[in-house]
Amino acid sequence: MVGLREFVLQSFIVSQRDLKRFFMNIYWLAGQVAMNIADLVIFGLIFRGIVNPVLIPDYIKFITPGILCLSIFISSFTIGREVGVELRREVTHYLVSLPITRGALVAGRILGGVLRGFVYQFGFIILAVLIMGLPTLDKWLLILATSLLLATTMSSISITVSTLTRDFNLQAAIRSLVYFLFFFVSNVFYPEKAIAVRLGPAAPLAYYSPVSMAVNIYRYSFGYIQQVDLLFNLGGLVVWCIFGLLLAYKLYIRNLTR
Amino acid sequence: MLRTLLVIASWDLIKLKNQKVFIAMRWAWFTVQILVFARAISYIVSHSVTQYTGGVDYYHFYILGVYTTLLYSASIARGYMIADEFDDGIVEYHLALPVKRNILAVGRVIGSSISTIIFTFPMMIIVYMVLGVRDILAILVSLVSALVFSMGVVSFVIMIVFTVKSTDLTDIIVGAIDALLVRLSTVFYPLPVIMATGIAPYYIAALANPISHMADFLRILLFPEYYLVVQHGLWASLVYLIGFSMGLLILAIEYYEKKLEAGGWR
Repeated sequence: MVGLREFVLQSFIVSQRDLKRFFMNIYWLAGQVAMNIADLVIFGLIFRGIVNPVLIPDYIKFITPGILCLSIFISSFTIGREVGVELRREVTHYLVSLPITRGALVAGRILGGVLRGFVYQFGFIILAVLIMGLPTLDKWLLILATSLLLATTMSSISITVSTLTRDFNLQAAIRSLVYFLFFFVSNVFYPEKAIAVRLGPAAPLAYYSPVSMAVNIYRYSFGYIQQVDLLFNLGGLVVWCIFGLLLAYKLYIRNLTR
Repeated sequence: MLRTLLVIASWDLIKLKNQKVFIAMRWAWFTVQILVFARAISYIVSHSVTQYTGGVDYYHFYILGVYTTLLYSASIARGYMIADEFDDGIVEYHLALPVKRNILAVGRVIGSSISTIIFTFPMMIIVYMVLGVRDILAILVSLVSALVFSMGVVSFVIMIVFTVKSTDLTDIIVGAIDALLVRLSTVFYPLPVIMATGIAPYYIAALANPISHMADFLRILLFPEYYLVVQHGLWASLVYLIGFSMGLLILAIEYYEKKLEAGGWR
């Protein structure tokens, strides 16, 4: 039996390796950052001109918390892509031969995704402060907790998705679909009123999305909205996080040992 | 020669049968775009935007953009399949066949493009039903233009796959180009809105973007009033699309014939 301290240490070593590998594709990273900023600028500048100001007075401020979620999604999901490539190339044989427990390996991979999310999102947090203003200390804690829960959820889901199939094309298609479901069926791009009007009875789907929950907390923390149901949104994120962790653990372990 | 070409092209068509899950995924992707995103985003867009769309409703304007991105990403997905073939050593087998390299290149491009058209055809019909299009000639012209566009994109992605010879790098490069091209196009916003931002490089990029030309070509074809928006007109887009596709096809043939070597896959 491995003690907790040993387990944490092993997981940390694995996550450090993943964090290092994150910076290996520096051009990809630069491209992604440019893309996210472009999203903010293009959506903000152009959509601000054509969006009904009665519904959304300032589209840049409206979309900024969504970009924070997007930055977590992009960076934390990279871990899933790598896990998928490893499964295809059977690098997993090497991984299971390492002198660490399989549980620590899976935990380390998820932690690696979380660390990537945090590192990548940091610059966008600064950008959000510049656009929306500086949050108070208690709001910073909320932002931190939200980023942690969202990054863990996304990292876990990305590993789950990548272990579902070894087909490269199908993996990319599933990844796109997950993006569309999370971001389009949420309040990232449009307010809840638009979702209620256009989706009708299907509107609650957006309400229970982890991305909507995170966006609500970010919007509240940066002062875009004055109140939010913290229990529902933070509690919901915790549920998503636990669900994601369990699923990723079970599927990754299954694929490692198959 | 024609028979060889058909045999090569049929390779991609046969593979379409084995992609039921992939097709279901893309259908779900399309449904979310049309039923959720397009409907919700058109709700928040001000009615005054019709002055920039020549009177075309924003929802209608946008779903033709969605169809174009679908056409683009379905064509790009053929590159992923070819990357998969490289991984499995099938490309080496293809290169060893007693078939001229140029026939092989053209066959793969045509086969992949026809597969894309078959794959996206039901979605095109849904878009046209939503738009109320019943003009058979317009449907036929849009199908042919979609095939021409797809040939260009497939040629482009084949060159990327064969140049980088890495599944991982292909994923990264294609993903980045995909995101960039869709953002810098007229999929979301009409050209006059982009011009009004005053960001000249963005306007030029949108103007030169093949996705913009394809989307605007379909818009003009189905909504003649949109002609007022696109100053360069229908013919310029048509010439651009043909030039884009034929140019890239020639480059792909050139690459197959002179540079492509088996092995070296990372």
